[in-house]
This record gives sequence, C-alpha cells and structure tokens, in this order.
Amino acid sequence: MKYPETEKNGFMVISLTGEVDLNYSPVARQQILKCLKQNKNLLVDLSLVEYIDSSGVASLVEGFQLARQQKQFFALVGVSRAAMQVLHLARLDKVFPIFDTIDAALASQ
Amino acid sequence: MKQFATQVGMTFTAAIVELGYVFVLLFEALRWIFLGQLRHQPVRMAHVFHEAMQIGVMAVPIVAILCMAVGTMLAIQGLETLKPYGAQGQVILGIAVSVTREFAALIVGIVVAGRSGSAIAARIGTMMESQEIDALRAIGIDPVRYIVAPVLIAMVIVVPALTVLGILMGMLGGAIYSSMELNIAVLTYMERSFDVLRAWDIAQGLIKSVIFAAIIALIGVSNGFQVTGGAEGVGRATTRAVVLSVSFIVIADMIFTFFLTR
Amino acid sequence: MTQNTELQDVIQVDHLNAWYGDRQVLKDINFSVKKGEIMVIMGGSGSGKSTLLRYLLGLNTPVSGHIRLLGKDITGMSHSELHDMRKNMGVSFQGGALFGSMTVGENIQLPLREHTHLDASTMQIMARMKLEVVNLAGFENLMPSQLSGGMIKRVALARAIVMDPKILFFDEPSAGLDPVVSAELDEMILKLRDAMNMTIVVVTHELESAFKIADRITVLDRGEILICGTIDEVRNSNIERIHNLLNRKPRQDVINVDEYMQRLTGK
Repeated sequence: MKYPETEKNGFMVISLTGEVDLNYSPVARQQILKCLKQNKNLLVDLSLVEYIDSSGVASLVEGFQLARQQKQFFALVGVSRAAMQVLHLARLDKVFPIFDTIDAALASQ
Repeated sequence: MKQFATQVGMTFTAAIVELGYVFVLLFEALRWIFLGQLRHQPVRMAHVFHEAMQIGVMAVPIVAILCMAVGTMLAIQGLETLKPYGAQGQVILGIAVSVTREFAALIVGIVVAGRSGSAIAARIGTMMESQEIDALRAIGIDPVRYIVAPVLIAMVIVVPALTVLGILMGMLGGAIYSSMELNIAVLTYMERSFDVLRAWDIAQGLIKSVIFAAIIALIGVSNGFQVTGGAEGVGRATTRAVVLSVSFIVIADMIFTFFLTR
Repeated sequence: MTQNTELQDVIQVDHLNAWYGDRQVLKDINFSVKKGEIMVIMGGSGSGKSTLLRYLLGLNTPVSGHIRLLGKDITGMSHSELHDMRKNMGVSFQGGALFGSMTVGENIQLPLREHTHLDASTMQIMARMKLEVVNLAGFENLMPSQLSGGMIKRVALARAIVMDPKILFFDEPSAGLDPVVSAELDEMILKLRDAMNMTIVVVTHELESAFKIADRITVLDRGEILICGTIDEVRNSNIERIHNLLNRKPRQDVINVDEYMQRLTGK
C-alpha cells in the first residue's frame, strides 16, 4: 500500500488516511523520508486520518528532523482534534508547523 | 506416629509436585527453543551469549585450578598406592580415565552449581519479588522463553566446554606431579595419556556434563520461580538451589557411572 | 442493541471467584468498565484488590467466572490470542517492576521490540516521546537503580503506555510517594484518558487520589464488592464498612462467639 502523493506549487503533499498505527506507520515513514531525501518541501495532510498512534507521530517527528537538517519546509495540515490531542500529550503541537489547509501552508511561504 | 507419617507423606507429595514442575519447565523451554521461531518469538541468541559469558568465561580460572588440583591429588595417591606393586606407570592410565570419565564433569558441575545455579535462582527470585516476572508476562513475554531457555542453552553448551578444559587441566596436574616422580617429560606424559584415552571415555564425561548442565539450569530456575517472602525467600531459594543441584549431580553421576561403565 | 453495549464495556467481569489454597479471596465479583472510563478499585490490604488485578491482567486464570476485555473472553484464550490481546493492555506495577539490567530507554522500548517490527529509530523516538509525556525527558540512558521512587513510577507508566494501549492498569500509583509526586501522577492519568481516550483501571488504597481521578469506584472488602458506583454514590452510601473505610476506622465486626472460640482453641 501507498499513501497518495500529489504536487502543488512545487510542494509535495502526502495524504495520510485511515488509521496510522503500528501496522501502517512504517509505510508513512518510508514515504515521508523518501520524499525528503529527494529534496522536496513536504506537507503531510492529516485531514483524512481517523486515528494516529505514537508510532505514526514518531514517523512525523523523524521526517521533521530530517527536513530541518536539510533546511526543507515541512508542515502538518488538517490536523484533526483527536490527532492534535496525541500531539499535545508530548507537547509536539508546539513543535510542528501546523496549518489548517494546504493553501494556508503554501501562502505562508 | 500419625503426625510423622503425615509429614513424610506431605514431603513426598511436595517433591513429586516439584519434580513435575521441573519437567514442565524443561518441556516448555524445549518447545520455545525449537518452535519459538515459528511463533515469531524466537529465543534470542544475544541472551544465550550473555548467559554463556556469565556461566562460562568467568568460571574458567576456578575450574582450571580445581581440576589441576584434583589431577595432582590423584597422581599423589596413585603413585603411593601403586608403588608397592612397582606399577607406577599405570598411574597415567588411572588419571586419564578417571579425570575424563568422572572428575572433570563432577568438579565443573559443582563449581557451576555454586557459581551460576545460585546466581540464576537469586536473579529470578529477585525478579519474582519485584514483579518483573509479572511485568514480562503482562508485556507478553513468556519468562520461560526469555530467561529459562537462554539459561538452558547456555548451560548445555558451556558446561561440556568447561569439562573439556577440566579434563585437560586434570591431566596436566597429574602430569606435572608424575613427571617429577617418574622422570618423564610433561609432554610425553600428556601424549601417553591421550594414547590410552578412548573416544568412549570422553563421551562418557561429556554426556554426564550435559546432564549436569540441565540439572543446574532447571533446579536454579525452578527455585527462582518458587520464591515467596521477600529477600529472605530469595536467600533460601539460592541455598536450596545449590544444595539440590549438587546432590542431584552426585546422584546422577553415580547412576550414570553404573550404567555407562559396566 | 446488545452489540452496542458490549462494545461500550471495555472490561466486563462476570461471577469471578478465586481461591488461594482453601481461602476464597474473591467472591462472585461482577462489574464492568466503559470505554474512556477511569475505574478505581479500592480496598484495604487483604481485600483482594491485588488478586483481582492479577486476574484482570490474565496473570492468573480463574477457576470460575469470566473476564472479557474489549469484548473477548480472556479466561479461555490460547497463548497466541492472549499475546495479541496484550498489545492493547498496559500495566504499571506497584514497585515499577523495571528490569534492572536495562536502561530506562530499553525498558520503555521492550514492548515495542516484542510486538512490533518498527524501525529502531521509530522505537527510540516513541520511547522518548513517552518520557516527555511523563516529564522525564533526557533520562533514557540511566539505569533504574539510579532513579527515585517517583521517577520509577513514571518510567513504569511510560513503559505501560508505549504501545498506546486501549486499557491501562495502574497498581497503587501513589503508594510510597510524597503528596506532590502522587498528585502529579494523578494528573498524568487524567491527561492520558483525555488525550487517548484510554480506559483506565487504578488499584489504590488512597482515598484522596481515588476521589480525584475516578469516574466510578469499586470498593472491595474481604473478597466482596461492597459497592460499585460514582464518587457521590460511594460518599453517600449507608454501608457501614464503607463508612469505616472512608473515615479510616478500624474494622469492628460483630463477634460470633462459637466461631471465635473455635478459632482460638481449635476445637
């Protein structure tokens, strides 16, 4: 399986869907890291995520760190309330760049 | 009288129950060793290696010294007894055979029971008391797979290896003393020792050492798992593990010698 | 409709009986815990609350009665079914039960190593995130022996939640801790429920902590459930033994002379 990837204004957008749990987070991680290694700026769209567990969040953390090292843009988009609470638990809501919509994220650049 | 009979009966029942428990542990451990891979819960080689280091490498100096001492004692006694018959030369055969078949495995068994059998019982007992064993199970890690199986494998590898070392050191001890008495070179003595040894002699020693290894491992872990009553309980289990292992080793040795030698 | 209520009840205990030797330590225990609910099991020492926890954790198998977790009966489960169920359960034991031969980080990662095939770096980040949650960032390379009692409890909590379990069991969170640290742990329990919608079972004898975190309280006494209800129901209960427990009065039972004399004289 593979999460849908689209390109918009030179930004890659990976849309995670469904339950990003122990079974699927490795897929998300692979895709995020691969995308960043191709030197692309990345938005991760979480609006279709029903549930994300800490392995999913850990994949996002790893991606964000790689982006920072390579000085690329990395942001989360459409974070649902449930996902936000998981991020908030480890205070990651104050760490990730988070935008409501893809357009808002693009406009910020 | 009635009380005494009850006591005996209860002790006997308890012993049977405990024996049953030991065999269940053995069976479970073997199942994890051979089928763990299929269940995607293998016995981890890293744990086996760690245990083997603890049991084996640290015991090398003491095994070497003790077996050498036993070889020397056998040489002294042998030469003294054989002197009146002018058969001192036979001492080489005597030491080679008795060290290989009996003493090396026995000494190693007792040393390892004292060093590691007690340590295993103490470690598992402490883990019982601190609920670490419960925690393992609650996480979904079978303690038999995680602790018992690695200990068992490590023992069964390491004890025979130490026994080989013990055989060599025992013969060396005999050689050093006899070489002075018999006026032959140590190297010549060793060569003659190897000449008189048959494969069966070595096999006997190694078969015994494997049995001893299993006894030490199983008695150590079963006493550990039965710990109740805090630090005092751990102490009791430790002592019990050593006493029982040594007793069973000696008894097993006798039984095996009876069947293997005749 | 039944389907729905069953899904709601994350934990369901039916007619659970348990013996320790000849002594019955749990007598016909029935209760259920809903999703996202914090159930506090209270009782003095010897009330059977620790035993009950062992059964809920599947560490002991009951002779009679059933325990359903997430709708599945764990009492008759095969080894591998129970193994899978454990992915959904986290436990923080009374003394922490951290493995002394492993660092804090290795302790927390252990469930992940056993149950998942995640990348090593993912596991490490997950463990560190949990340390952030319990306010112990940067402690991952210490050994358990270097930690204070409160820290051990928090590491144990981090290990219990590392798999994002659906059910969290917490044995005596405040035992042996000073009031400030135990209040902190209470806060963490509430925070976890709110963020992850975890179902949480806390076993304790601390009234204050129980009243602070509980949605419902089950009071055990000598193996029996005295009451199972909301905080107000427990507070307003007319049952004398609960009153005694709440007011920390020693037990005062009516003495049966015949039984008592028999106990003393053995005749």
